[in-house]
Amino acid sequence: MTTDEGTKPEGEVQAAALAERGEDITPARDRGVLKIIKRPGNDDESPMIGDKVYVHYKGKLANGKKFDSSRDRNEPFVFSLGKGQVIKAWDIGVATMKKGEVCYLLCKPEYAYGAAGSAPKIPSNATLFFEVELLDFKGEDLFEDGGIIRRIKRKGEGYSNPNEGATVEIHLEGFCGGTRFDCKDVKFVVGEGEDHDIPIGIDKALEKMQRGEHCVLYLGPRYGFGEAGKPKYGIQANAELVYEVTLKSFEKAKESWEMDTKEKLEQAAIVKEKGTMYFKEGKYLQAVIQYGKIVSWLEMEYGLSEKESKASDSFLLAAFLNLAMCYLKLREYTKAVECCDKALGLDQDNEKGLYRRGEARLLMNEFELAKCDFQKVLEVNPQNKAARSQISVCQKKTKEHNERDRRIYANMFTKFAERDAKALIQNSSKQKPMHGVL
Amino acid sequence: MSEERSQTTMAVDELQAIIQRCQILEESDFRGEDFNLFQVAGQKCLEDGYAAQLLEVIQNEKNKVIIKNMGWNLISPLVRCILAYKQEDDKRDDKREHCLKILDQLVQLCNPKELFLGLLEQIEQTSGEKVCPTVMLLLQPLQTVLLKLQNKKAYSVGLSLAMIMNQLTPLPVPYTKQQIQEDKLGLCQCCNAVVDFAKPFVNEVVKNMEKSSEYNDMELKEELLKFCMKSLKYPLLTAQLEQLEGIEEQPFRHFATEIIDILQDIRELMPLVFLHHKGKRSYWENQEFEDIERKNSADSLACLSYLMFVQHFGINCFPMVFSPSYLLQCNMTHIEVLLKRTEESMLSKGLDLFENCLLRMEDNSLLHQYLEFRDFINVPQDLVKVMTLCPIEHLRKKSLNMLQLFIDKFDAEGKYTLFRCLLKTSNHAGVEGYIIQKIKDQIHLSLTKAHDNVWFTRHHLISLLDLVLFLPEGAETDLLQNSDRIMASLNLLRYLVIKDCESDNQTGVWTTLAKIEKNFLKPLHVGLNMSKAHYEAEIKNKRENRREANNSNTVYSLTVSEEKMPAMTTEMQLQVLHSALFTFDLIESVLARVEELIEVKVKAAMDENI
Repeated sequence: MTTDEGTKPEGEVQAAALAERGEDITPARDRGVLKIIKRPGNDDESPMIGDKVYVHYKGKLANGKKFDSSRDRNEPFVFSLGKGQVIKAWDIGVATMKKGEVCYLLCKPEYAYGAAGSAPKIPSNATLFFEVELLDFKGEDLFEDGGIIRRIKRKGEGYSNPNEGATVEIHLEGFCGGTRFDCKDVKFVVGEGEDHDIPIGIDKALEKMQRGEHCVLYLGPRYGFGEAGKPKYGIQANAELVYEVTLKSFEKAKESWEMDTKEKLEQAAIVKEKGTMYFKEGKYLQAVIQYGKIVSWLEMEYGLSEKESKASDSFLLAAFLNLAMCYLKLREYTKAVECCDKALGLDQDNEKGLYRRGEARLLMNEFELAKCDFQKVLEVNPQNKAARSQISVCQKKTKEHNERDRRIYANMFTKFAERDAKALIQNSSKQKPMHGVL
Repeated sequence: MSEERSQTTMAVDELQAIIQRCQILEESDFRGEDFNLFQVAGQKCLEDGYAAQLLEVIQNEKNKVIIKNMGWNLISPLVRCILAYKQEDDKRDDKREHCLKILDQLVQLCNPKELFLGLLEQIEQTSGEKVCPTVMLLLQPLQTVLLKLQNKKAYSVGLSLAMIMNQLTPLPVPYTKQQIQEDKLGLCQCCNAVVDFAKPFVNEVVKNMEKSSEYNDMELKEELLKFCMKSLKYPLLTAQLEQLEGIEEQPFRHFATEIIDILQDIRELMPLVFLHHKGKRSYWENQEFEDIERKNSADSLACLSYLMFVQHFGINCFPMVFSPSYLLQCNMTHIEVLLKRTEESMLSKGLDLFENCLLRMEDNSLLHQYLEFRDFINVPQDLVKVMTLCPIEHLRKKSLNMLQLFIDKFDAEGKYTLFRCLLKTSNHAGVEGYIIQKIKDQIHLSLTKAHDNVWFTRHHLISLLDLVLFLPEGAETDLLQNSDRIMASLNLLRYLVIKDCESDNQTGVWTTLAKIEKNFLKPLHVGLNMSKAHYEAEIKNKRENRREANNSNTVYSLTVSEEKMPAMTTEMQLQVLHSALFTFDLIESVLARVEELIEVKVKAAMDENI
């Protein structure tokens, strides 16, 4: 199948060969999808459910008419395998392929577009013929940052997932460097896996899993036990982990709109405690989840009584201040500043809020703004020695920074001057461009 | 005559004077004052109708440097003149011709950067019916200047396109065939001219992409992408995009094809169609901006989807391997966006897109799990809103058809869940009546087909019947307003009682009979008696009043959607009251029949037991 011309007879021959000798790959054994391998793969591995697969393909109707080809578009076609994104024949067919393999598939309408067809190209009740090349596949990158790669061994049911705060029952096995370090059945609340020595990556991944799903998760250090490692399991700092997880069942946590104010305030007290506990243990990501709940419940709550409103504001203030602290520890300074801004929105002279915003800004090299914040701290509380010393840090840094700038610019200006001089000589015959008119 | 003559010379002379003074100056010695004098004199020449003389001055080789620096000042009066001539008679053709030549000369001679700003300023300042003529006039010059620009080209192209589109956006988009043919403001023509304007820049991007994979003018590409997104939202989202009889090349269809072609050429079409499934790169650090952008692009993407799937624009490069249910799932977001609107153009696009996606599916093939996606629950509710609130009849009808089609596509559990949801959310007796009728159809299928269907028999059905066979506010329910629902419920109950014997009890209706009597039949009796008494008393009242006052003064008025309805005479009121009584009688007779059937069946069963 090198050119489109001349393939028609060949295509028909292939279709006939498939009908005759093709392997029936349907689970139902109803000859709905027949397959012949044209070129075996160079690797023994097949893609798993949920994997991102890259293919090139060409599709023809029974009369030999080509209806689609990824090669015409000049880019491989990418989809998630086994999730019903593509026609049934493909989910079945591509799952049987090995990397590098080229195969022919003959698909009955029940495994393609059925009686409805697919306007404008596929008529009703069409049997489709495909040539497919499996170029590559990789596990699903759950957060598009390479931190958690999932490969599904058994697909779950439905489309709903546990949310943050949902109660889940799972079975898990944890591996590090080929050694199994953990194996248990456990029931816990998503976001609080740490209580059972389960790293944050599992909590995050669970929010993308379905009931009954069984998968393998590859966790980067950030989603694993991080810099601290896990002495209990003999896990070093920054280790990569592999978990096998089965989500046996779950019960969703109430969404914010399902809770009334009273319930929100009661829960806020509980999660605040929990957040503080995580914070003290240095589990900042977990603490962020807990404090974040307070914000999501109370930030947009309207129609509170005076008493409720007071309680709500005090929870929110504490949540924002603590979130700011967590983000400082996590080195996410922009977020830290945002939280301080919100805290200061509730209480404009809040000493901690001002101080933490100053710290964050200092670390973002915004020395002038940082200095302002620390000065405001001193206005609120002249006894704050830390703020006083931070101001002098700011001043020192500003000075250093200015000097460095000066050196850089000095060089730059000399260079510009030299270049301009050269240009001037070259252009001396031409006229000088006119500036400043507008 | 001589006075006029002297005025002529005045304007031209003044221009000559300043020109002569500047001719001997170096470029760098031009002063702000000179610019002013030049502009005033030039403008006067144009206003007094001496375009020919001005053209001569501009074409003079000796004045090249002056024009290069100062020429752009003439753009504003020039544009004003050209547009003014256009509206007047043919005699001015000559002068208009001269002005156009001047514009052409300025484009050739002037400093591109200043000319660019001068042209853009003209577009910025125009408004109303002048927008299209101004844009049409300046597109060609603007394109030439942009192609000459050395620096910040991508930015300038983007700025021009954004400015033009922003100026066009307030204009109403022609929708009917007549409006399109008339094209009163010139919008149809103008849009297509804007695409032609953009083409050289598209070609540039294409050429660069061919050269290397890591093309360096991402910037220009981004600007063109923004233009396409903007065009999809306005005018395309509000435009008529169906083929119209009698118009060979429907201008907006043409425009749409061109926009899709651009997207395809700069290889952004496919990424856009599947945008919401990939965490697309975000330009904004600030969450708020990102939200605004997402909201803005939601409209554009919905329009794009409509163009691809319903109108088949660009479908050639669309992969033909996606499953119909996945396509529906991807489009559900767009359908929801469109159905949330109230404009005919958008609602009909939403309904067409929905129909297109549903027709790709086979009946009973959509898994109930899809209802776990929020938009699968939201869209049918939006349909209900359209079919109960939309003032346009064909859209109401189509919404109902789409609801029917949507229901048809689901598996039994999906239908069941959907019925429950719609009964709880529709708040409209007519819709509820319709749903109850659909429930009856499903029960009928379950009872007649060989294979057992658990969702419309036994305990699942009973819990659904709980939502059907009751009066929302007990005996106090407004029976008239709820008559559709009540009649459908009674019909359903009658069907169940006839079809299902107490001994079989396949539907479970006999188990729950006591509950039905308590929640539905008894309060219905009470309600009927109360309502009838009330209306009869009302009729009696009216009649007596009529006799007493011999009508006249007591005229009721009624307002429907802020429009005052014609006043009702007592006669008309009586008619309404009588038709209400008739409805109650109807309900009562069906109720009696149902109770009779129940009694007979219960008795028969008891006899059998003895």
